[in-house]
Amino acid sequence: MKIIVAIKQVPVRDSSLHIDSSGHWIDEDDLSYEINEPDAYALEEALQLKEKHGGEVVALLAGPERGSQTIREALAKGADRAIHIECDDLATLDTLGIASRLAAAIKDEKPDLILTGLQSDDLGLGQTGVVLAELLGIPHATIIMQVEVQGGAGDGSGASAGSGASIKVKRELEDGWFQHVAMPLPALLTIQSGISKLRYATLMGIKKAKTKEVRRVSAGDLPQAAAATVTLERVYLPEKKKETQLIEGSPKEAAAKLVEKLKFEVRVI
Amino acid sequence: MNPATPMHVLALTLHYAEPPSFSIAEMVLLAVLIVLSLVGFFWRFDRVLRNILTARKDPGFHLAPIGKRVWDFFWEVLCQAKVIRERPLPGLAHAFVFWGFLAFALVSLNHFASGFRLGFLEADGWVGGFYFWFAAIFALLVAVSIAGLFVRRFFVRPIWLGRKVSIESGVIAFLIFALMVTYLAGFLISPASATARGLWWSHALCILVFLPLIPHTKHLHLVLSPITIFLSRGEFSRIPPLNGDEDFGLVNGKDVTQLVALQAYSCVECGRCTEHCPAANTGKVLNPKEIILGVRDYLNDLGPHSEEPLLGKYNSQEAAFQCTTCGACEFQCPVGIEHLPVIIGLRRGAVNTGAWEDDHGTKLFLALERSGNALGMSATERDKFIKKQELPIFDGSQEYCLWLGCMGAYDPQGREIIASFAKVMDYLGTSYGVLKKEKCTGDPVRRLGNDLVFQQLAEQNLEIMKQQKVTKIVTICPHCVRTIAKDWQDYLPEGAASPEIEHHSEFMARYQDRLPITDGPEIVYHDPCYLGRYRGSYDQPREVLARSGRVIDPPRARERSFCCGAGGGLAFLGEESGERVSHVRAKELVDTGASIVGAACPFCNTMFRDALTAISDTPPQLLDIAQIAAQSIANVTPTPPNGAQNV
Repeated sequence: MKIIVAIKQVPVRDSSLHIDSSGHWIDEDDLSYEINEPDAYALEEALQLKEKHGGEVVALLAGPERGSQTIREALAKGADRAIHIECDDLATLDTLGIASRLAAAIKDEKPDLILTGLQSDDLGLGQTGVVLAELLGIPHATIIMQVEVQGGAGDGSGASAGSGASIKVKRELEDGWFQHVAMPLPALLTIQSGISKLRYATLMGIKKAKTKEVRRVSAGDLPQAAAATVTLERVYLPEKKKETQLIEGSPKEAAAKLVEKLKFEVRVI
Repeated sequence: MNPATPMHVLALTLHYAEPPSFSIAEMVLLAVLIVLSLVGFFWRFDRVLRNILTARKDPGFHLAPIGKRVWDFFWEVLCQAKVIRERPLPGLAHAFVFWGFLAFALVSLNHFASGFRLGFLEADGWVGGFYFWFAAIFALLVAVSIAGLFVRRFFVRPIWLGRKVSIESGVIAFLIFALMVTYLAGFLISPASATARGLWWSHALCILVFLPLIPHTKHLHLVLSPITIFLSRGEFSRIPPLNGDEDFGLVNGKDVTQLVALQAYSCVECGRCTEHCPAANTGKVLNPKEIILGVRDYLNDLGPHSEEPLLGKYNSQEAAFQCTTCGACEFQCPVGIEHLPVIIGLRRGAVNTGAWEDDHGTKLFLALERSGNALGMSATERDKFIKKQELPIFDGSQEYCLWLGCMGAYDPQGREIIASFAKVMDYLGTSYGVLKKEKCTGDPVRRLGNDLVFQQLAEQNLEIMKQQKVTKIVTICPHCVRTIAKDWQDYLPEGAASPEIEHHSEFMARYQDRLPITDGPEIVYHDPCYLGRYRGSYDQPREVLARSGRVIDPPRARERSFCCGAGGGLAFLGEESGERVSHVRAKELVDTGASIVGAACPFCNTMFRDALTAISDTPPQLLDIAQIAAQSIANVTPTPPNGAQNV
């Protein structure tokens, strides 16, 4: 089974963020980066599927040079090789733009399965995976908690289309509901965070990673995506506002006013 | 005896009797027996020697400084200092046997030489006469000692010697006893008698039978342990650097180094390590003696070139990860075995290759990778604490960098210790600052064998130190002290100097004359392993405490202090099997009747916090030495008239 995992590098959680001078993005100096958390679970799922069914795991990342650190970690954890789309303009692209690049870079790979996190910790759009599936013309399912391979798992060549292999997945719906879906392969799944236990990178893994292949693709060599349909207007930190209202009157009147406000103004009850 | 010649009998007793001459047949027989004995010895010893010599070389091993090695050899081998100090009675008995053997070397040499008519000690000569008598005194001491040790091993049977009675030990004890008796009896008979000849041969046979028994029994320590002690790694719990891209720790036989092999073959199976091991004492699988014997069995069965994993049939992974790295085993070992590099080596092998799967361990590794602290908290929590406590930020102008450590920065009780110590430093007028950014020193991952995360943390911290031009650090955590002072050394950039670091007990002890003296209650002091055995700081914390109360020791104190159970990353590994180490120790502390437990390590503190309340309804108060000192300072410092609080 050949699995491609699309991963993204995002600022480390709990970083103190500052808006850059253009107002369109955050100041990237002094920030540390790590793998986007849902993507870490997508990678883990891919590695576990490989352990069960054999095959190959390929990590796919679009981003600047610093992304190679995240690629190295993915290789250290057990990915067999990686594709790095080198580009410095991620923040200016919309979902279609980035998905087109990803699709173009894996045009010849013919994977059985593509996994990615359900959304990114920085932009949180949750669309890249879905759009990528559309561009590749394969079915997709989102917010996946479990993947079960049925029928032959494919021979790792990516030629699963005719082999009758399929998967059964468990999707998370609202309110504690789940949906079980059967899908043919090849397919794309976006993986929910926290569905399994992540493994730790080992020294042996890091040493082995040094010898693994990383195919570098320059964004300029890929077909140009259509002009962005969505542009970032402004990035800003949550504005803290504090408004205190004193409700006057007898306890009974005050309570009635408070309920009214909570119901109609704040709309929380 | 003929009653008419009493003077003759008396005269005989003054001299050691050897047969005056030997026939050619006897000489041939003797030569054959000697050859057989030596062949028996070397046939077995050769395999041991080859397993040691063909094992991997020890990376980072230096013979220098030789002076310390000579001293250790003199003190621990020749004087038997450690053997006697740690178990006085059997230790002294052992020392007499050892010294007896030394004294007997010349006698034995002469014994065999005389069998070929080449004897060089004349029983009635001045030198020989003296020496035979000199050796006789030792023979008497050895005979009594070995008989005592025999009784101990076979009748008293301390559990540390193992449940299985070693028949070989009995045979060897008998041989040594017989050796002495056949020698002493030589003073009571006439050289010309047939008895003298019989005794002579019995004595020779004892030695010739003894020799081939050495290599495959624990008596190999006779040959190896003096070398083992001389060739120690030179410092306590020295974890060797990994060598090249294929070294992940002790994975299989190929990773066993010469020192590890030498030490494994030196084990005398006395069980002192087990006797003092907190894991072995609380019903865990781990038994440090069995770890070493496991390596020896592996080498005997498979040799130092096998790719069979070390963890599995010969040693259990579960046991390796139950070690608190308290170091009691290594400290106790009389034959120079360094247990910690072996146990941590086995952990490195398991962690660095991903063979160790443990939910708590993985969580710790990921927390350190991501958040840079062992508690997995956000770094902003540390910033908030610094702000709230109004701790000055280190900017190079202050004398000391106050290192918070994970416990000091994130743990509520650790924070109290930091706050108290800051008050002490303010009172003493010391200038200090805390770093804006600080990551875990890597102590828990170093001891758990995760070299990848440890290296990252060490390098990141060293870079911060360099940027901030830190030269002197003081901290409340003995684990941080050890890791910064020793373990970071392997990762220092070339030419860089590592900052000096000291524990707050050492710092405060230096200024003890300026700390107020107050009459206080009894304080029972618990020696943290990483401050005591690892660093030798036993007196400083006691001196600081003595300013505020009467310091008393629990039954196991100083070098023999019993671990709190937190070390070696175990504080983060969840529920222990068996009895809890912290409860056993807390009970000892409570039983002293002291009203305050004085701790000097935030990890001990956190372990005892839970343990004390679990075992006692009215537990003593648990305070760090800095908290006790700060309290004394508060008691003598008048509150300003305007009522403002002293910070």
